[in-house]
Amino acid sequence: MVKDRKFIFFMILPSFLFISIVTFLPAIRSVFMAFQDYNMYFLTKKFIGFENFTDAFSDPIFVQAVKNTAVWVLLSLLLQFTLGFSLALLLRKPFKGRGVYTALVFYPWAVSGFVIGLQWRWMFHGSAGVINDLLLKAGLIKERIAFLSDPHYALYSAIVANIWYGIPFFAIMLLAALQSVPQELYEAAKIDGANAFRQFINITIPYVKPVIINTTLIRFIWIVNFPDIIFSMTNGGPAGSSHILSTLLISKVYNEYNYGVASAIGVIIMLILVTYAYFYLKFSRTEGGF
Amino acid sequence: MKRLFVALRILALAIFLVCALFPLYWTLVTSLKGPTEMYTYPITYWPKHITFENYRYLLKSLNFARYTLNSIFVSLFSALIALIVASFSGYVMARKQFSANKILFFLLFITQIIPGFMLMSSIYVMFGPIGLVDNLFVLIFLYTGIMVPFSSIMMKGFFQRIPESIEEAALIDGCKKLQMLFKVVFPVTAPGLAATFCFAFVNCWNELFLAIMLLNSESKKTIPVGLNSFVGKADIDWGAMAAGVLIALLPAMLIFAFAQKYIVQGLTQGAVKE
Repeated sequence: MVKDRKFIFFMILPSFLFISIVTFLPAIRSVFMAFQDYNMYFLTKKFIGFENFTDAFSDPIFVQAVKNTAVWVLLSLLLQFTLGFSLALLLRKPFKGRGVYTALVFYPWAVSGFVIGLQWRWMFHGSAGVINDLLLKAGLIKERIAFLSDPHYALYSAIVANIWYGIPFFAIMLLAALQSVPQELYEAAKIDGANAFRQFINITIPYVKPVIINTTLIRFIWIVNFPDIIFSMTNGGPAGSSHILSTLLISKVYNEYNYGVASAIGVIIMLILVTYAYFYLKFSRTEGGF
Repeated sequence: MKRLFVALRILALAIFLVCALFPLYWTLVTSLKGPTEMYTYPITYWPKHITFENYRYLLKSLNFARYTLNSIFVSLFSALIALIVASFSGYVMARKQFSANKILFFLLFITQIIPGFMLMSSIYVMFGPIGLVDNLFVLIFLYTGIMVPFSSIMMKGFFQRIPESIEEAALIDGCKKLQMLFKVVFPVTAPGLAATFCFAFVNCWNELFLAIMLLNSESKKTIPVGLNSFVGKADIDWGAMAAGVLIALLPAMLIFAFAQKYIVQGLTQGAVKE
């Protein structure tokens, strides 16, 4: 239907202007700033080559944050996906009250990560926290754990909250995909004598594979770029031990006012994500051939 | 054997539900407790004395009513403008003849890799010198820009479901293209428009990092910024915090419960399946 070039131009123009001013121009400014001495306490704006990058790399907290980002992303993604897929499979067959059930069980999706972090920060509280109380009652621990002020537990506590937050996304997407699998395929398989497990491997998985690939791709990016929960639960603490790259970036801006180093970290995150997306899509296309 | 499976399924569904709702329940309980009951042992799972003191404190002594109004104002207008802008570009993307479709999709994908928090310092550096900080209209502009890409992809998904024949019929009847959009296409897509609006509204309602960066004055703070200034204090008042958290999450929850079905449609058709 759309043929008129002028019409297309004016339809796209507002979106283009908004995205340019809000994302593309600041992104370009940010890349420049990554090579500038942009410390708001002592602002010179001089171009200093890769100094911001070497500053970042020589900081032990940065190195820790890189490791933490890997743990944060892999654990969160793996468990969000596994639990979300399980929930989708459980919800596949209709039952009485399924609509109400899904509205309730999917609600974490609507809540901001920041608010979720606050809720879990209170639940993980070292003395008055309900999680400590429940674990004590269940006999799983002998004394209360200072989850958020102990470097051994802080990051993992945030990961628990992140998994809880991410289950609905996968459940929703995979449920929609599961419901689009044609029923005839299963009936044919039953006639051929395939059991439930065979049906799952040979029909369900191939059919929902494109959705699995697309959702894990986009979710990976979102989890890397998801500082909200850690920001409100631990703010990278204690002593920087639970920072991931994105929360470290934020603390460089909010606490240290060092926009140069913050921009350098931003550039590093962008490079990681673009590389990831490139290889992920290439790999999944050749392997899956969809 | 079959009975066992049914029982296991019900059990698993029950566990998921309890886990999902527990934080909400615990926030509610906390918000209804007085300051002494908050830290006493053993921990009470329902307040012995229900008090609304936390809510009263929040609304009276803190500016929470103001924050709420600001949040509604900013989210409403950002979502509305984003919806209009995105439905134009989404419509063009939905109609295949447009040759630059792939480039556009790629650009929108790139914006997912560069979220607001990554750009907040450069936005501050660009907007600060020309006096465009601490201003709710600027925040609306920024939120609109942030919501446009994803809203476009969602709207594209909804437009693709509309048969082109009804558009042809309208054009033959002598409608101009823009007229045709407003009189024929948009009304048919009403659920899609509503879902995209809700999605954008909730995302703006929840946004924190840009708002912290750009808002300074007390009278302009949004709810997340207000909550965040709580966290900065050495001794967090968890009762008031819980009440604030509930005020922050209930509207988002209700809107999603209402629009969920259509949002899922938009996401699966526009983004996931391509």
